[in-house]
Amino acid sequence: MDPLMTDALVIAAQTAFLIVIAPAVVGYVRLIKARLQGRRGATIIQPYRELRKTFRKGMVIAESASWIFHVAPFAIVGATTAAASLAPVVSTVQPADLVGDLFVLAALLMLGTFFLALGGLDPGTAFGGMGSSREMTVAALTEPTIAIAVLTLALTTGSTSLGAITGTVLKTPAYAIGPGHALAFAAFLIALIAETGRLPVDNPSTHLELTMIHEAMILEYSGPYLALIEWAAAVRLTLLLTLAANLFLPWGMATSLVPAALTVGLCAIVVKLAILGLLLALLETRVAKLRLFRVPELLALSFTLALLGAASSFFTK
Amino acid sequence: MDLMVVLALLTPPFAAGVLALGVRRAPARVAWLNVLTMPISLVAAGAIAVRLATGGTPVVVGEVWRIDALSALLAVLIASVATLAVALGPGTAREEHSQAAEIRTFRIYVNLFAFTMLVAVSTVNLGLMWVAIEATTVTSALLIPLHRTKASVDASWKYLLIGSVGIALAFTGTVLAYVDVAATGVDINVALHWTALREAATALHPQVARLAFVFLLVGFGTKAGLAPTHTWLPDAHSEAPSPLSAMMSGVLLAVALYAVARWKVIVDVAVGSVFTDSLLIVVGLATLAVGSLSLLSQTHFKRLLAFSSIEHMGLACFGLALGPLGTFAALLHLTGHALAKSTTFLLSGRVLHRFGSGTISATRGLLATAPKTAVLIAAGMFALGGLPPFGLFLSEILIVKAGWAAGHPLLTTAVLILLLIAFGSLLVQLHRMLFGEPPTGIAQGERASGAVLLLSVPVVLLAWLGLSIPAPLQMLLSKAVMVIRP
Amino acid sequence: MEAAFSRITMTAASAMLLLALVVLWRRHAGAYITAFRTQSIALAVTGAVVASYGGASELFFVSFMILVVKGWIVPSVLSGMDAKRQSARELRPLLNTETSLLVSGALAVAAYEISRPLAEVMNLPTRGGLPIALALVFVSLFIVVSRREVIAQIVGFLMLENGIALLALLGAYGVPLIVELGVFLDVLLGVLVMQAVVYQIHDTSAD
Repeated sequence: MDPLMTDALVIAAQTAFLIVIAPAVVGYVRLIKARLQGRRGATIIQPYRELRKTFRKGMVIAESASWIFHVAPFAIVGATTAAASLAPVVSTVQPADLVGDLFVLAALLMLGTFFLALGGLDPGTAFGGMGSSREMTVAALTEPTIAIAVLTLALTTGSTSLGAITGTVLKTPAYAIGPGHALAFAAFLIALIAETGRLPVDNPSTHLELTMIHEAMILEYSGPYLALIEWAAAVRLTLLLTLAANLFLPWGMATSLVPAALTVGLCAIVVKLAILGLLLALLETRVAKLRLFRVPELLALSFTLALLGAASSFFTK
Repeated sequence: MDLMVVLALLTPPFAAGVLALGVRRAPARVAWLNVLTMPISLVAAGAIAVRLATGGTPVVVGEVWRIDALSALLAVLIASVATLAVALGPGTAREEHSQAAEIRTFRIYVNLFAFTMLVAVSTVNLGLMWVAIEATTVTSALLIPLHRTKASVDASWKYLLIGSVGIALAFTGTVLAYVDVAATGVDINVALHWTALREAATALHPQVARLAFVFLLVGFGTKAGLAPTHTWLPDAHSEAPSPLSAMMSGVLLAVALYAVARWKVIVDVAVGSVFTDSLLIVVGLATLAVGSLSLLSQTHFKRLLAFSSIEHMGLACFGLALGPLGTFAALLHLTGHALAKSTTFLLSGRVLHRFGSGTISATRGLLATAPKTAVLIAAGMFALGGLPPFGLFLSEILIVKAGWAAGHPLLTTAVLILLLIAFGSLLVQLHRMLFGEPPTGIAQGERASGAVLLLSVPVVLLAWLGLSIPAPLQMLLSKAVMVIRP
Repeated sequence: MEAAFSRITMTAASAMLLLALVVLWRRHAGAYITAFRTQSIALAVTGAVVASYGGASELFFVSFMILVVKGWIVPSVLSGMDAKRQSARELRPLLNTETSLLVSGALAVAAYEISRPLAEVMNLPTRGGLPIALALVFVSLFIVVSRREVIAQIVGFLMLENGIALLALLGAYGVPLIVELGVFLDVLLGVLVMQAVVYQIHDTSAD
């Protein structure tokens, strides 16, 4: 087959996988949390049912909403999908490396956040504005952390391309795994929690508006727009979990595009997502939500960890 | 023979401290026994000093103790000041102000304090020297709040914390030097011995040696009251009971400078003396400035003396950086300062008891109230201000001369100006204390004149020092300078 | 084998540094004492690893002493001191948490830079951990300087001592035994004296 076709197929397949499995990941985390709290909980495919139901509903749009309100959901979905297409899901051979690297991915995620915040501000409601300002505060504090964690990875592996990073860590674990790596992993996990709006930074299932960050921004959305935004949020979570798993712990990934290796890689990523989802659910059940002015402390801690990791990697060359 | 003399130097204070710990009753008798044991150390130290001044070899006992000229000088200073402090401390006066528990506490810790200082200057193992200096912090910190007040307890905490942190930094420097020396293949059992380090210093890596010296200077400089880590000194020295202040200001600061000097020798072999000299000049000048300028605004008599100590330590530090002449002057300065400061602090204790307050404005008319004490205090303050004929005048002039000779005219002029400022401040405050109407209700006349007699001895010695340095002392000082600047 | 030894010691050293960050992040004294205890245990483990690989058998004794003195006795003394503290207020430092964490990150980077010449001239396999040990020293120093409460200052000082012990351990497989014993004695006495002075502070202050 034409190599360009193969590449396009691989990229499309990985992106499709992420997009399709995203609501399942969210459902899985919710199920585990329910079981830990002593409830039976809904099944894993419940989020799919909710999405289908929400897509069919009609929309009520505020009179003060402008074109931004309409463009935002599509921009968010577009940015998140583009970011998802860059992530290494099953193999370290990433055709998408030619298109964008880790910095592009981080920028795309930030683009999504940006439009979400705009969409929250646009109708001019109080809660929307509050959610947007909180979200931008958190995002402003997590961006440097992610940048420096990325830098740590790039320093140890010599490249910022995602496939190259996973490939190097897989090939030479003794070289790549060290305190710098571990510190960057810890910092990345804390930033992940902040970026995806999970406990202890933000409660995704809260109904108290004054405690919301992410939910407050999407209060005005309904119908298909809401479905799109919810799906994009699920894709974001899945994407970041995949990155955490594959960038820092890439074992099981395929090193070539042989079908057997790809199947192993697929199973590996499913297992890793399951484990990480379990850990996330455990954490959310264990901790209470932080008061808003404590969140910068947590994020400063993650930034310091990232800084220490980068310093370790840089100075122990 | 060497063993006997080292035992005679070190055991009396240790034994006296342990005795005070074990015996709970009859504190007065314990105190008087104490007064008899300390002079044994003084005699031993004097014997060692005489032996070294007349060309003898350093006193060496095993792998642990080595007393050369520099150590002997410090040992004599420590023993003399300790003798004075022990004789004039709680428990020996005819009319006793202190309670039995306080006397016992004082006797335990003041002796252990003197013991740790003597160990610090007598050992050849720089790691043990560090342990001993840390022990001085521990033993003196419990003694500062002898009279339990909020101010003294806070001062003790500040002293303990800043001193311990400083000492920990000094240990970092020691470890860095040790790590480097151990890598050169020297036998690790003697790797921290000063003599072995001096031999192996040429193999030290320059960057490591410099880094280590910075840590050591900051660390031991904290204990010596050098800027910028001097902030504990005014509080600690002013709130402590007067005999302890005398020992801390008179000799503990000098012991810390001794530690710096020991390490300076080693680092100088590794990287040449320009690096350490520059650092010492900067630190010394800064300390001198802090001390002198702070003297202008003091209202409390003991704080005045504490800042004067800072000023003098800065000057000594500055002198150490100025070649052999400067080093000689610095050591002479430390000698004179030990005598002058201890005397003045001990006298300040008497004044405090008499007037019930430490502020200068409340202690007017000293000359009319207690003339002999007043005269001795005046002599002490004159000496501290650098007035002839006292010894400190000579050492200050020598340092200025060394500064000019070493090629630092501007800095030396600055030093001179700061010394003049200090002199002026001390004299103004002295004048306020001596003259004027005494406050009502203060007892008149001289009491316990035995103490006055004892304290006039150091003053006479100071005058002798200024007029012409006695030959044995001069030889001892020269030998000590050769230790630092071979 | 040597690479594994080097990695293990570096990881343990990093863990010790992170535990120092806990003092800057958390706000109550129990967390500080636990962090110090864990850090001392990590130090003892590092000592044992260095002893077994480097062949310095007296380090086993030193590690045991670290475990006993710093991992058990000193934290007990500190917990006793904390129990006597009247108020159960949160501890408020001089700098807020975010700034403290950022300053400590900057100090760690500075320590790495300063110790670069040092690590270059050493030839032991543990030299990679030297910058971390120096970073721990600087961060502990910052803790002592920036905390208002006495118990936090004491914990900072003890962590400083741990950092220096780590420096000695990684740089030269420990200092001579007699000096090590002297250091232990000093730390123990120092903590006891600090306890005594702190009790006096409580007695004389209105707090």
